[in-house]
Amino acid sequence: MSEAKSGQTGELLLQARHITRCFPASGGRWLTACNDVNLNIYRGQTLGLVGESGCGKSTFMRFIVQLDMPTEGEIIYRGEDITKMRGARLRENRQNIQMVFQDPYASFNPRMKIKDIICEPLLNFGRIKAAERGAKARELLEMVELPGELADRYPHNMSGGQRQRIGIARALALEPEIIICDESTSALDASVQDKIIRLLVKLQREKNIAIGFIAHDLGLISSFAHQVAVMYLGNIVEIMPGEQVKNALHPYSKTLLDAVFDLKMDFNKKIPQLDSEIPSPLDAPKGCPFHTRCPRCTALCQTERPELKELAPEHFAACHMLA
Amino acid sequence: MLKIQDITVKYGQSSQPIIEHFNLDLAAGQICSIVGESGSGKTSVIRAVLGCLPGGGEVVAGDIKFENESLLAYSREQWRRLRGTKISMIFQDSGAMINPTRKIGDQFVEYILTHEKMPKKAAFAMGVEMLERMRLPSGDNIMRSYPFQLSGGMRQRVGIAMAMTFQPRLLLADEPTSALDVTTQAQIVRQMLELREQYGTGIIIVTHNLGVAAYMADKTVVMQKGRIVEQGSREEILHRPQHEYTRALLAAVPSLEGERYV
Repeated sequence: MSEAKSGQTGELLLQARHITRCFPASGGRWLTACNDVNLNIYRGQTLGLVGESGCGKSTFMRFIVQLDMPTEGEIIYRGEDITKMRGARLRENRQNIQMVFQDPYASFNPRMKIKDIICEPLLNFGRIKAAERGAKARELLEMVELPGELADRYPHNMSGGQRQRIGIARALALEPEIIICDESTSALDASVQDKIIRLLVKLQREKNIAIGFIAHDLGLISSFAHQVAVMYLGNIVEIMPGEQVKNALHPYSKTLLDAVFDLKMDFNKKIPQLDSEIPSPLDAPKGCPFHTRCPRCTALCQTERPELKELAPEHFAACHMLA
Repeated sequence: MLKIQDITVKYGQSSQPIIEHFNLDLAAGQICSIVGESGSGKTSVIRAVLGCLPGGGEVVAGDIKFENESLLAYSREQWRRLRGTKISMIFQDSGAMINPTRKIGDQFVEYILTHEKMPKKAAFAMGVEMLERMRLPSGDNIMRSYPFQLSGGMRQRVGIAMAMTFQPRLLLADEPTSALDVTTQAQIVRQMLELREQYGTGIIIVTHNLGVAAYMADKTVVMQKGRIVEQGSREEILHRPQHEYTRALLAAVPSLEGERYV
């Protein structure tokens, strides 16, 4: 079992160790959504998690927000395994880790005013009195660069960018140490996305928040993540510093890079054909999870699962061909 | 092949047009991309071409000519014959276009028989062939599947296979890749380019992904608030953008080579 070492400069805030999650499926089979995932989150830094739909990235992040529990493994935060927390202790701890959803509209009650939406977490934990809502909402709205007048409005008729800012304001209301963003910008236009990312980075600097960001756009994630992990069929196949994304080593990461349409790309480049679809996680391949689609697959890859190895400082990849 | 001449589109009674003075010429086998932010009217343009503007939308000025015939003067019957044969459309989520309670094959056969008289079996075989041309494994199996049994990328390929059945002269694609994973997106882009090589299909692709637009298109139209702010070749748009808005759009696209915020 390889474990990502914490050699990185920065204070280790949260450590996920050997996280495995199996869901029961029809016919007595099991679906392994996360398979022995080891990841660290550092104070004030961003961990980007990329991969295709269904690779288990949201499943993993949900453990950190304590919306679900892993089958095996532990998540150490402040010296305690948060997967074992129950009852009042669990509720207390929710103040420290908050979430921003992909579609904020679906996560807002349409009948609640913006001020009620933003201040609900504060009221839940008795941090403010109901009468203080208006003033606090205004303050939080200004923090996310929205006019304070929006406090008395409803979420409909707001633009996607505005709603996403409100989602961020709600997540930050309790001043958490970690926020998890699940594809929080993928429904937005590029220019709005850019503004939201700049806002997140600014707030991260001001408040020293750690961010766990799920994305499928490598270009986007490389622009603001300190650490990027690539996930495939429930396995972490590569962990690298954010500025190393374009030098990714694992064949799967390279496939992802090849699929990016970048404005600075060579427009005469042919798109390599990738015939097979991603295998179903219900019958995940033995050996290296990527071997069925890998151009460099060997006999060893079909039988033995490669482990993460440190190939360069802070750069880990799980591939037999890279050792 | 297609000439959109100075069209203005309005919805319902509203006085504010959604598209104003839109012009576009497309030659056979050309690919044009329309980019812009949500609400800029890009989708309305291609819907106007296919005569299926929703919610009382109407072309109030200008003309759309396809192979030198004005589409706006078409009768219902003429439209019916044109759609799905000479002009086809693929949608953002082909899964939503397919009836979830009926099998793919059932709907594919119905579509083929609407436009051409042939035995059901022949139509089924034609469907299988089209699916296999889109590199869907075992077309037979897919014809017998329900939409929910397929992945998003597979459904999108089914949508493209259906759209290409009658080898249309013009393919309208409304955000065909934005609901897909990056790897699937690349494969769909690749297959659309192959369509042009194989059948000489002209394509108008509406997208907010400037990278895809630049990679695929011979020319790009940039829209803002229902108007064309700039149009030109990839070279012109990417390297010599004239309009402020185009520059802002380009600057906002995340890039692997781009600026890092941390």
